[in-house]
Amino acid sequence: MTTFLITLPTRDNGGRGVRAELPGFVTDPRAPFGPFDHLLNAGRAAELAAFDGALLPFDPWGEESLVAAGSLLRQSRWLRVAAGFHPGVATPVYAAKVSASLQRFSGDRLDWRVVVDLDPEVARAQGDFLEGADRYARAEEFLTVARGVWTQEDYSYEGRFYQVLAGGFLSPLAGRPFPRVYLSGTSPQALELSARHADVHLFDPGDDFEGSGLRDVTYGLRLPVLVRDDDEEAWRAARRLWLRGGGTEDTLPELDPDTGLWNGFPGPGLVGSQESVAARIRDYVDRGIGAFVLEATPYVEETYRLGERLLPLLVKENAHVR
Amino acid sequence: MSVDIYWRIGTHGDQPSLRRRVASRGEWAPVVPGSLAPGVRDGRRDGYSYVEHMGDVARASEVSGFVGGLLPSFPNTDDPWATAATLARETTTYRFMIAFQPGFLHPVQAARMSASLQRATGGRVVYNVISGGGGPDQLWWGDKVAHDDRYARTSEFLDVLRGVWDGGPYDFEGRFYRVRGAGLPQELTGQPFPEICFSGSSKAAIDAAGRHADYYLSWLEPFHALSEKFDQVRANSDRTPKFAVRIDVVARETEEEAWEEIRRGWDNIDPTVLRGATGDSIGWQRSQSFVTGAINGHRDLEVTPNVWGGFHLLRGGPAFGLVGSYEQVAERLDELINLGVGAFILAGVPHLEEAYRVGENVLPLLRGHDLRVTSPLPEGTPS
Repeated sequence: MTTFLITLPTRDNGGRGVRAELPGFVTDPRAPFGPFDHLLNAGRAAELAAFDGALLPFDPWGEESLVAAGSLLRQSRWLRVAAGFHPGVATPVYAAKVSASLQRFSGDRLDWRVVVDLDPEVARAQGDFLEGADRYARAEEFLTVARGVWTQEDYSYEGRFYQVLAGGFLSPLAGRPFPRVYLSGTSPQALELSARHADVHLFDPGDDFEGSGLRDVTYGLRLPVLVRDDDEEAWRAARRLWLRGGGTEDTLPELDPDTGLWNGFPGPGLVGSQESVAARIRDYVDRGIGAFVLEATPYVEETYRLGERLLPLLVKENAHVR
Repeated sequence: MSVDIYWRIGTHGDQPSLRRRVASRGEWAPVVPGSLAPGVRDGRRDGYSYVEHMGDVARASEVSGFVGGLLPSFPNTDDPWATAATLARETTTYRFMIAFQPGFLHPVQAARMSASLQRATGGRVVYNVISGGGGPDQLWWGDKVAHDDRYARTSEFLDVLRGVWDGGPYDFEGRFYRVRGAGLPQELTGQPFPEICFSGSSKAAIDAAGRHADYYLSWLEPFHALSEKFDQVRANSDRTPKFAVRIDVVARETEEEAWEEIRRGWDNIDPTVLRGATGDSIGWQRSQSFVTGAINGHRDLEVTPNVWGGFHLLRGGPAFGLVGSYEQVAERLDELINLGVGAFILAGVPHLEEAYRVGENVLPLLRGHDLRVTSPLPEGTPS
C-alpha cells in the first residue's frame, strides 16, 4: 500500500505571500485574511483531492505546526496530518500530552514528523544547544518516553536527558493510537533511530534508500513535483519557476539524465506530464518506496491538479483510492 | 463611484480546464478516482458533496479581492438559495448574488428567505433577477408564461417583495400576484433590501429594468454593441442606471499563452456543436449575430481585440469573454468602466484556480476612469 501526502505551507502567509492590494476605486470589503484561512483552503484542497495526508513541516519561520495541525484536523475528516517539530521544543511528556488531545479531537489522525538534525544555528535560536550524535541519543529517549507515558500507567524513566517518575496517561487521555512517526537522515545514527522508532523513514530522491538496510519501516520519499498536461508545458513551467525564484537562463538546471530528476526545486524532484511523473513514481514504488510526501506550489491549485490528474493514474499503488 | 467586482461560483460542477469539456468536480460526471466533491476513498464515496468545492471557490475568490460571487441557476444546477444558505457562515464579507426567476417562488416567500439570509450574512445578499432564457428550459421549470409577460410578472414580483419588506400590512392586486395583509414578521424587518442585478436584452426587459434595477446586467458583447444597449437602457430609465457585465476571462502572463489555452480547447470541440443552441433569449440571438464570416479557426471568433466569442463551445454558458495577457484583460476592463460599467461578474474555468489567478494578477492592474483610452470607442462615451 502506497500513501500520498502533500506538503502544506506554514510560512509566508499560508504560502500565499503578501496580499495584492486593489486600486482604490475597486470595492474591497475584505476582512484581514490570515495564514490560517489560507491553510484551511490548502488543507481542504488536500482533503477533497483524496490525499492520504498532509505534512506541516517544522519551520522556525512559520506557524507552529501542532497548532496548525489542530486547526487542519478539525476542518477535515479523512486527512492524516503530520506535524513537524524537533525534540527540543518540549518535554516528551508534554509533546505526548498535546498529541493525545489532538488524537481525541481528530479521530486519531495526527502523526509526528520528528526532525532531529536541525541546522545548529537554527537549533540554538530555538534554545537548543545540543549538537552531533547527542541529538539522536536525545531523540531516542524522547520517543521512548513519549511512547512510555502514552501506553503505560505508572511509568518511570531515568535517562541522560529525561526523567519521569510515576507518569503515564489515564483515561480518557490513554488508549489512543500513538501518532505515526516520520523520521529522516542518512547517517548511521539516524538509521538506527529509525529502526527502533520510525513508522516511516523519509529519503530524498538522490539517496541510496535501497542500501539503507532499514527493515520493518516504510520508506518514504520527499518529492517536489511539477506536473502539467504534457512534458513541454511542464518544462516551460519549470523554467518560469526557476526564473521567478531569482535564477537566470544561464544557470537553469537541465534534467539530470542519470536520475531523471530536476534540481531546480529546493531539492531534486520530478517535472513532466502527469503520465511521465506517474511512471517515475511507479519506478520508485517498484524500488520499495511506500509513502510519498509531494511538494508543489501554489498549494491550493497544485493540490487540486495532483488530485485530479496524477493520483488517479496511481490508483493501483494507492490503497485508499480504487 | 466604486466598482464592484464579483466572481462566479459554478453551481453545475466544474472542469479542470477549458481544454476538455469533462467535469471532474461535483457529480455531473461519474464519480471515479480523480473526482472531487465527492471523491473516492477506500473504494467508496468520501461523503463530501459539491457544496464543499463551492465553499472553496467562495473562500478563494473572497480572499483574492472579489466582493462576492454569482450563483447561477439553470435546470441542472444546484440551487443558489440553498448554496447561499449553506455557505453564508463559511465566509465573512462575501456577497452572494443569487440568480432566480420570479414566478418559481412566491414573492412573500422570496422576501422571507432573503430577510433570513440577510440576517445570517450581515446583509450580503444580491439578486440576479432573470426572467427566463425561454425555449425548452422554461417549460422544464413548468413556466408557460410568454416571453414579454415574464417581464411584467417580474415587475409585479419585485413590487410585492418590496411591499412586504418593511412589515406591512401590504395589499396587492395584480395580474400575477395577489396578497392581502402581507408583511414580513417584525423580527425579519429592518434588513437592507438586496441590490438588484437585472438581466434581459429585449425591449420588455429593458423597460422593466428601468423601474427596478440597481444594475442592468448584460453578458459581454463587442463593446460597441454593449454601449448601444446601455444607451437604450439609459433612455428607458427613470433613474440613473448602473451597468454590470458578466465576463469569462482567460488571462495569462502572456497573450500567447492565453490563446494557447483556447486553442487546446478548440481542438477538442465536437464540430457538430458549432452554432447549435436554441431558445427565445434575445441575448443569445444577439450574441450569435456578432460573429460573421467563415470560422476556420479559434481566432476567427475574436471579433475585436481580446474579445472572443467561442466560450460556449468550451463550457456551458454565454459566448463572449476576454482572452489575453493580464495587462490586456485589465485594459479591456478599464475600457468597459469607461463605458459606464460599475460592476463585473468575472469567471474562469476552473473557477477555484482562476479566482486566485485573476484576483492576484489582473485586478491590481485596473486603473479605472483615468486610463488612456487605447482602443476606439464611440464618440461621446460617458466616462
